[in-house]
Order: sequence, then C-alpha cells, then structure tokens
Amino acid sequence: MNLKQFYKLLLFLVIVPILSSCFEVVEEISMRNDGTGDVLLTINLSQSKTKIASVMLLDSVQGYKVPSKQKIQQELAEAVAYLKKAEGITNVKSTADFNNYIATISFTFKDVSNINNITKNILARQKIKATNTSSYSYNKAAKTFSRKYQSVSTAKTEFNKLKNQDKAVFNGANYTSIYRFETPIASASNPLSNLSKTKKAVMLKSRITDLINGKINVSNQIQLSK
Amino acid sequence: MEKLTSPIKYNYLNKMKKLLIALVILISAKLTYAQDLVKKIPANAFTVATIKGNNVFKLMFVKDFNESFVGKKLLAETSKSLDKNFTSIEDFGINLDKNMYYFNQLNDSITYNCFLIPLKDANKFESLINNKENKINTNGDIRTMILPDSTSIIKWNNNMMYFVTGSIKSSFFADSVKSAKYGIKDVRFQSKYDYANDSAVVAVDSTYITTIDEPVMVEDVEAPPVIKAKVQKKAVTKKGAISKAKAKKGSAKRKATAKAKKVQPKIVEEEEAVIMTDTMGDDTTVTKNYDEQYDEYQKERAEQDAKMKRLAFVWMTEQADKVFAGNYESIENNKSYTSSLDNKAIAELWVSSLQDVYNSIAPEFGTYGKAGIMKGYGSLNAKLFMDGKSFRISTGLELAKEQADAYKKIMNRKLNKKFLKYVDSEKAIGFMGYSIDTKAYLEEFPKLIKQTYGSFLGKSLDEEIELGIDLFSILLDEEAVSEVIKGDALFVINGLNSKDVTYTSYEYDDDYNRKEVTKTKKETLPDFLFMFSSEDNRLMNKLIKYGINKSYVSVKENIYKIEEKKSPVDIYFMIKDGIVFFGNSLIEMQSISNNSFNASPSKMHKNLLAKNNFSFLFNAKNLVGKVPSEEFGGEETAKKFNETLGKMGNVYMKSNPIKGNLVSADISAEIPNGHENALKYLFSLIENAAK
Repeated sequence: MNLKQFYKLLLFLVIVPILSSCFEVVEEISMRNDGTGDVLLTINLSQSKTKIASVMLLDSVQGYKVPSKQKIQQELAEAVAYLKKAEGITNVKSTADFNNYIATISFTFKDVSNINNITKNILARQKIKATNTSSYSYNKAAKTFSRKYQSVSTAKTEFNKLKNQDKAVFNGANYTSIYRFETPIASASNPLSNLSKTKKAVMLKSRITDLINGKINVSNQIQLSK
Repeated sequence: MEKLTSPIKYNYLNKMKKLLIALVILISAKLTYAQDLVKKIPANAFTVATIKGNNVFKLMFVKDFNESFVGKKLLAETSKSLDKNFTSIEDFGINLDKNMYYFNQLNDSITYNCFLIPLKDANKFESLINNKENKINTNGDIRTMILPDSTSIIKWNNNMMYFVTGSIKSSFFADSVKSAKYGIKDVRFQSKYDYANDSAVVAVDSTYITTIDEPVMVEDVEAPPVIKAKVQKKAVTKKGAISKAKAKKGSAKRKATAKAKKVQPKIVEEEEAVIMTDTMGDDTTVTKNYDEQYDEYQKERAEQDAKMKRLAFVWMTEQADKVFAGNYESIENNKSYTSSLDNKAIAELWVSSLQDVYNSIAPEFGTYGKAGIMKGYGSLNAKLFMDGKSFRISTGLELAKEQADAYKKIMNRKLNKKFLKYVDSEKAIGFMGYSIDTKAYLEEFPKLIKQTYGSFLGKSLDEEIELGIDLFSILLDEEAVSEVIKGDALFVINGLNSKDVTYTSYEYDDDYNRKEVTKTKKETLPDFLFMFSSEDNRLMNKLIKYGINKSYVSVKENIYKIEEKKSPVDIYFMIKDGIVFFGNSLIEMQSISNNSFNASPSKMHKNLLAKNNFSFLFNAKNLVGKVPSEEFGGEETAKKFNETLGKMGNVYMKSNPIKGNLVSADISAEIPNGHENALKYLFSLIENAAK
C-alpha cells in the first residue's frame, strides 16, 4: 500500500461522504467617473483547502473528473487569452495560488458594457451553460449604474437534478459583489445591498444556492449623487 | 454423464427416506406431508436459489407481513391488476411454509430458467389467472398454461407450480452445421457482390439438404442435449426390474421415434420452403437491387427466428414434462450442493462451478473460450441469515485441491498479537486487518499464475511461462522479502480529532476595499494508524537515510515525518518492536514511542482480528456527533447524518479458515436496538425509504 492509496482509503472513509465545502466568489467593479473601470474576480476555496487537497489526489470524485493543477492553469490561461482579445478590455492578469486554492482574474475596461457576455462566453467555451443573464450599463450623463440580472430557470431545474451529495458542495458557498465609485451614492434599488461608510461603495452578499434557485435577485440600480 | 448405479442407489435411499418420513409423521402426528420440491431439481442444474418460506415466516408471521407496508402494497397492487380483493398473501395459494426454488440449466443450445413454487391451494392459485377457461389445459390433476408468445410454460398440480422459460443460444445456431440439423439456417445479410461469390453459403446449404433424411438428426430435434444427458425413466417401471441403463436408452429411442412421426412432416415442409427460396436466391439475387435483397433477408430472418422459437418451445415442453414427472436424479444427490446448505439460512444460492459457468458462456467470447481461466475454481455458494441481532451473508467458493493447498499455505499466518493493543475499541470508527505468509505467497504465486493464465496463453507459451517462473524465484529471495514484510498489517482509525486550520478570507474597510485576513477554523480529521510487522529493518533504514538526505523526510526523536507539501494531512512513521507504524497523529505516534498508548481493545474486536486472515469492521456509532455541523454545510444535514449513523450497528467482514477445499467469508451487519429481528428491521427500512 503506497501513500496515495492510503489517502484514498482515508478519503473514502470520512472526507468524501461529507463533501460540503465553503468557498466564496467575489466580483469587484471599480467605476471611474469617465465610464472606464477595473474588474477583479476572485474565487477563494481556502476554507476547504484540506478537502480540495485531498480531492486533488483523486482521479474523480462522486463521478466527476478532478482536474489537475496543469489543467486548471491551462484553462485560466485560455480565459486570459480570450479576454485579451475582447473589445475594450486591457490589462488582463490572472493569479492562481495552489497552496490556498485562490484564483483571480483582473482587467480594465473602457466601458462597463464591454464585460457583458464575457462570463457567459468564457463559460460557454468550457461547455458550461450560464446560470443567469446579467448585463451592466453606466450612464455618464444621468450618473446611473445598473446591473440587470435574470436567473435562468433551467439552472434551477438542472441543479435540482443533482444528487443531494452533489448539491451539498454548494451549501457553504457565498457570492459577494462590490461596486465602487468615485462619487458618493445617492441610492441603490436592491434592498439587500449595503452602502459603505464613505457612501462610495455598494456590497451585496448572497448564498450561491439562493442565486441558483432564484431566491435572490442581485439586480441593482445605483444612482450617484449629481 | 449419467451414473449407471445412481438410480438404484437413489431408489434405495428414497425408500429409506420414505420410511424415516413415515416415522416422523407418526411421531409428530402431522397428517399432511408434501415433499420438498428440491427433488424436482435435476442433478445437472447450474444455479439453484432457494427462499426458505419456513424460516422467513418464523421471523415475521404471515399476518404481520400482510399488515406491513410491503405486504399491503403487494396485496393492493395485485388486487388492482387482477380486479380482485386479496387480504392475505395466503390468498395466492402458495405454501408459505415450504421452500421456493429457482434453478437454471444451461447447455450449448438452450438455457432454461425455472421456478418451483410449492402450492397449498391450487384453486386459489388459479384465481390469479384471468379468463382461465381458455388458457388452462387440464390433463389429470396436472394443469398447463402456455404464456402468450409461447416463450414460457406454467404447469401445476395441487402441490406445486412449475414455471419454465427457455432461450435459445444464438451462438449455437451460428454454427451452420449444428443449426442445419434442426432445419435452421444462419441467415446473414450480404450485398449482392459478395453474395454471388460466396461459395460457403452454397456449401452450407448442401450439408443441410443431405442431412434431412438421416434419422439421427430427427432424434436430435426431439432430445436437446440437456434432457438427453438426464436419466429418462418415464417408461421405466418404478420397481426397477429391468436394467436401468438399457431401459433408459430404450425408452429414449422409443419416445423419440414416436414423436418424430408427429413432428417430421412439419419439419420437412419447412425445409422445402427454405430450399425453394434458396434456389430462387441463387438465380436472381445478383440482379436484384439492394432494398429487395434486404427485404428478403428480413423475411428469411423472421422465418428462421420463428423456427428457433418453435424448437425452443418443443424443448421447453419436454423439459417441463420431465421436471414435473421428476423421475430422474435430483440435485439432492449432488454433494457440492447438499454440503452448501444450512438449515438456518433464509435464502441460499448455489452455482455449480465457476469453471463450468465460464466454459458455458465462453463460446460467446470467441477464441478465448477454450482457455479455462477459471480453472481450479469450483462451486460457489451464498447464504443469507437473519436473526434477532444481525443480517449475515456467508459466501463460499470451492477450490481444486492444488489451489486450496496453495491458499492454505498462504493463509498460514495470524495477525501479530502486538497490533491488538493499538485498537481503541471505545473510540475506533473502523479497522481492517490482514495476514498472509509472505514467503508462502511468493512461492505459491507463480504456480497460481501459471494455473490461471497458462491455459489462457496456450500450450505454445508453456516453456516461456516456466522460464518466467524460475526467473522470478531466482531474482526474489522469498525468505529475505518475508523478513522485511512479514505479511500482516492493521489499519485502524481510532477516532476523529479536530485541529486548527488557517484559511484566507477577506475583510472590507469603510470604502469596501478588501483586505486579506488569515482566519482559523476547526477541522475534524480521522486519526489513522497503519502498522505492519517487519523483522529486517535494514532496507527501511536505508530508505529513511536516503529520504532524510534528499529532505523527503524529517526526523524528531525517533519519529519521522514525510515532507510532502501536496498532502492534506501530515504523515508520520516510526519503527518500534519489529513493527513499522504510519499515522497522521503526532500525539498518537509519541504515545506509541514512549509506551504510553492507552487503549483497551474489546473482546469482540480482538477475536475478529486475531482469529481471521482478513477482517474489517466499521462502527458508525462512534462517528455520531464527532463531526461539527459546520462541516456538513448546515445543522440539518448534520442531524440527518448523525441520525442515520446512530441507527447503524457494527458492520463487519471476516474470512473463515479454509475447510477442506472451501474458502469462505462472512459479512454481517448488526441491527440497531429496538427491532425484533433483522427481517422486520429490513421492512421498516423499506417503509422509511418509500415515504
């Protein structure tokens, strides 16, 4: 019995049956008054790093193939390459920390509408159907920022088709979106969103399961003070 | 092949048995006696499965069954589908105190799947059949019903019901010479080009034409191999005055000719039809277009299929008559079968021989068929037991003597007794122990390989295999290897421990700018311990030295740590008292090192580990409440998980010592307290699952 087999035995005994993991997805957009801005997308799995490290030693878990470190890096690189070619997008960077299992992608946009469809297209390249339709717009004259979000009903049905143990993976997962501005915010339409002390940023936190199930809508209409 | 003496012996035994039975009846004052249906199962049955009604309904009265969720559902569904009102399973007319059997018979041309069900009330049984007047054919007290499509036959009298369904093996009729004997052609679709050039087709046809008139072939139609191999005593007087062997042959022939008269004209007619299409085919196919050819092929194919089906039906009818008459050597005379039985079992399964199974299905595997990869493996049996404490499945496999002797040598080792003190029964979630004799294993292994693969690779490779085996023996010093790894090992999880783990998260300032922060959380991980005996540590020590030099291993006192960044847990190891330990808990390792490891193995655990070559135990109860609910992703999941675990008793497995040529193993699952017995518990589980 070598070490790898050891781990496998161990994993099957205790870790795998309760594979609920905590992870967070953070989406940050910093808008400048001229309509340009920066995006930082983060996926942080460090809370589950023991489990991830264990899972990474396996070929597959609960019937899903576990991607190798190389595969993850390659896909991240593909996403970066795609972004670099996208209209109005510059300064694309990515990081991947395999000790803490945190990955980020950041870039600068000319207009916030440049990022519409980007996530969808990236997901589509990985043959994943997007779970929502989301679009951003910024009106310089009216000083309004809006995010229109519509959860896709098929996402919910697909999710409900999953086995309970697979659903559990999303149980402790959170989604955070932060929008920062140079001008103070007068109002934000989504009651779930919080205003920062300086009134220059809006934060909205939700559970990923609520998003998938359509329980929470993250649409927001933000009016900046004139 | 038939044993000439067995029928006489059988009859004698039968008389003795009847005498005994008469005595038993007198003593127990039972007025009715219906014999066990096992007598109806032919000696050459391949698989026999039994459900022991008596033992089942000892655990659960019929009344309780009727009132159970499963019982109610069964009664409601049958009532609904037959438009009747059943209130008890006794309404089906089945004798629930007797054994029910399934068996099958295989040969190269047909497989029979058969059920033998004891009846208590034939009228009640018949009430299950709708419009029975049109379907049932009565002959004396025997009633027969042919199922639609003629694929199965049901036959019954007042005491038993017999169901048979037969399926023709297509591989048999793919052999054109064989199929021609039965007036069946192997039809294959060929395009006009190769059809015209294919002389093989013509050749086959000619064989088939020339063989029609041969009487031998007609006899073959009447008596498919399975039946032929059996003792036919129908025409024989039961007193046994005539020599059995002679009578058997005679009766078979008489019967065959008698039936041949009836069936022959029909067959000839069919054959003529085939010949006609053939000649037509030869003349015109070349000019016909593809579609027409295909239609013709389809038509011909359907014709041949219908013929095969008719043949199967003829064979099945004959088989059913024979089984019903039951005048032949029964499976009761098969020692392998009888020795596999256990009075206390609820259900039993017996498969005659893995070697035979393999060989019988092998033709479908093509050329590998001839290789007896299963050589040396005999009959297989499995028994299910249920009682007030547990479920138990016991399985056994018969080996050829050579094989069994090899395994006996390999199994000739017990687990190192010193291992036992490291099992903490109070906390242990599970363990697995095994012990084999490494030296014997290395010596026997090449022989076993040769036996299994030798025939597989064919005679031509014999010398090479021999050479390989010798090389293996020369290169390996079995004795020396067995000093390094004695062959016994124990893996034990002595509970769960939580430890602090750091992770990265974010905090946000007044402007919602994020700041990376390091937080800690508790994580629960199993503490495992793995140990094996080793008397020669030189190799290990060299490996450790190498590991330290290359910084794969670090050392503190005499405990080594594997420096592997990818590992989700720390792994420590050490060598002490001729045992190599591996584990993920430094505390446990330290306590082993300074002899302060405090554990008390229970008697049950000690026995399980020490007395068997292989053992496994999982005690779910020790997991209850040990994992914090956050790790389940919520209170609710945690509660469910703990509830399920709390209801589970010990699950364990063990290998038994080899008895004679039989290797066997048991798997048991204890039932939780508060349940009368395993069967009732099983019913409650089904009910819960259905809710």
